[in-house]
Amino acid sequence: MNVELQINNSANPTARFVAWAPSPCRIRVTNPSGATTPTVNVQITGTSVAGGGAVVFRSTTTGPFSDSLTVPVPINGTSVPFFVAGRFGRPSVNAGDVTIEARTGTTLVGSVQVMVRVRKNANTLIPGERDRFVSAFAQLNNQGAGRFADFRDMHTAVSSPQAHGAPAFLPWHRAYLLDLERELQAIDPSVSLPYWRFDQPAPNIFTPEFLGVSDTIGTVQFSATNPLQFWRTDGVQGINRRPFFSTAAAPPGLRTEAQTLALGNRYRAFRTMEGNPHGSAHTSFGGSISSVPTAARDPLFFLLHCNVDRLWARWQRQFGRFDPAQTASYDSNPGTPIGHNLPDTMWPWNGITGGTRPPTAPGGALAASPCVSAPGSQPQVRDCLDYQGTVNAVSRMGFDYDDAPFA
Amino acid sequence: MAEQRKAAQRSTAAGKPKRPAQRSARSALLIATDAKKTVKQRVAAMAEAPLAVCENDANLQAMLKVLRDNEEPVEVRLAALQALQAASFSVVAFASCRGDYIATLRAVVEDANPELRQRVLGILAREKDGFAQQKLLEGLQDPAKALVPPEKALQLLSYDVHADAYPVARAIVSQPPNATARREALRLLAADASSAPLFEKILRDKDEAPEVRQISAAVLQATRPETLQAHAREMLLDPSEQDEMQAVSLTALAQFGNAAALANDAALLHRIDQLSGEQSTRVQQSARQFLSKYGR
Repeated sequence: MNVELQINNSANPTARFVAWAPSPCRIRVTNPSGATTPTVNVQITGTSVAGGGAVVFRSTTTGPFSDSLTVPVPINGTSVPFFVAGRFGRPSVNAGDVTIEARTGTTLVGSVQVMVRVRKNANTLIPGERDRFVSAFAQLNNQGAGRFADFRDMHTAVSSPQAHGAPAFLPWHRAYLLDLERELQAIDPSVSLPYWRFDQPAPNIFTPEFLGVSDTIGTVQFSATNPLQFWRTDGVQGINRRPFFSTAAAPPGLRTEAQTLALGNRYRAFRTMEGNPHGSAHTSFGGSISSVPTAARDPLFFLLHCNVDRLWARWQRQFGRFDPAQTASYDSNPGTPIGHNLPDTMWPWNGITGGTRPPTAPGGALAASPCVSAPGSQPQVRDCLDYQGTVNAVSRMGFDYDDAPFA
Repeated sequence: MAEQRKAAQRSTAAGKPKRPAQRSARSALLIATDAKKTVKQRVAAMAEAPLAVCENDANLQAMLKVLRDNEEPVEVRLAALQALQAASFSVVAFASCRGDYIATLRAVVEDANPELRQRVLGILAREKDGFAQQKLLEGLQDPAKALVPPEKALQLLSYDVHADAYPVARAIVSQPPNATARREALRLLAADASSAPLFEKILRDKDEAPEVRQISAAVLQATRPETLQAHAREMLLDPSEQDEMQAVSLTALAQFGNAAALANDAALLHRIDQLSGEQSTRVQQSARQFLSKYGR
């Protein structure tokens, strides 16, 4: 007998990625030979390579997760649903380092390899994870001629009002990071965007093998094996970044995570983090990252913003602020500019130009994912709040943070 | 500009509720701009002040005054600059402050403090400010007028290269005041298509420092990728080539090469197989990565 396991309800191998939020899956008998009853009990378990990820299961949309699940599966080929999630605290380090196995008795009747893919602290990545990320990013940029040019053009002084100084600061950047991450995953599906936890020392980020070491004038140096040595944006060769702090320590004067999460239990209070720590993290350097028009030229920008988004995710979990219908989850008022209200579509993914929108909309629609359908190709602000599908399972955006469990 | 600011003030006064974070930013700004407080208190307060900078003209002018005033402790002036920069990230709110901000930055580019000069020129250069670009260029042409060292001036000019910077950059490549200035002149010339032969020459010159050869490889990969790929292949096949440049060549081929052509290049694969057993960890690591990618 054989069964087929579909992860994220897809037979496509590129959909075999899970995070902390449960992924809908299904199992069906594809070859019933040997079966003697109309239904067989199939036990589903996960096995991990040493140091790899781990998964847990449940049979319905709610209830506790367990290490294994026994599912009665009809031999007539009808699919049976179940759910898989990464075991919190056990993310993968490589694609396919977890195998989901299906057995009848002791006989293996089907298996698939999956990855528990979550966003991790960049300072703690192992060399393989770091190198895959750097390589994918260098290829996305392709010395300034690649798809990354669109991401630079999305974050400029002209487009800034779409993304800054108003309530959609956090949702806009969540969509922006997700778009970039999906493009990186199209190059290497095992990659996720790491975050720079700027309230802690992160010496492993500022090395020749990762995001480079700044010399005294702020020109960033890379090792000969680091593909970021070929970085080029807008005709500018290399990266300029001059830290005003020792990179063995955290920048001074930034709100800590605890202080940021304590800004208040309403989004309106929390979003003031756009100034400190967000703005202060940018200006703890000289160089591209410290000015709006040039900030996105530096790959560190995306790690900085990934941490900003992580802080929002942790704040959302702390106060249960995933539901757009709850007033405390967002800052809505009649004077809010277009692009910053919950039902507004966001530029540039909506393709709207002119008027209160910028004159061009680079990059087209938001990249699709083989694992999830949200937030859609032209997301509204409201689509970016329930990122784990806590309120509505179909809102799951397909990313998680290593330290923000499923709510 | 003043009209815009007044409109912004009216909007603020028009009954938006006072939020705790804004109240705390206003208090911080008062401390930050109060010369009677200690330097430590003022620097710490500057970090919390950005939210209040553009709330009204008085706040903005108080911050700009600190930045301009050379009687103020430089730590406080640098912190004020950082706070203004952080405030500038809220582009809409900052729009009404921007004119006075840029004017103040221009006013302090010749400040006695070199760190302040450098930071201010950096901000203006990233804004493609013509005034700052002119000052930087004049300093390169006449060292008596230099506001920052030549290497820094070249680096800042590279944010928005104009052809009038090329002659001075070429002159510095030929007769550099120091190695860093030469490197920055080369980075600036990366935008100049006519400099490709110079980069090819440096790339293949084993007497050049690996750092400038590495830059030359990066520039050529961006501007003439086929040329760089051909040089990288030759450099790998050359047993007398520097380890560092063999690692650079391997990285260029592995990342940006033509996969089909590389996988069928028997001589190259044989050579990389040899390199995978080399003493140099850097070369060994790159060679192994290359071979794992191209199926050997």
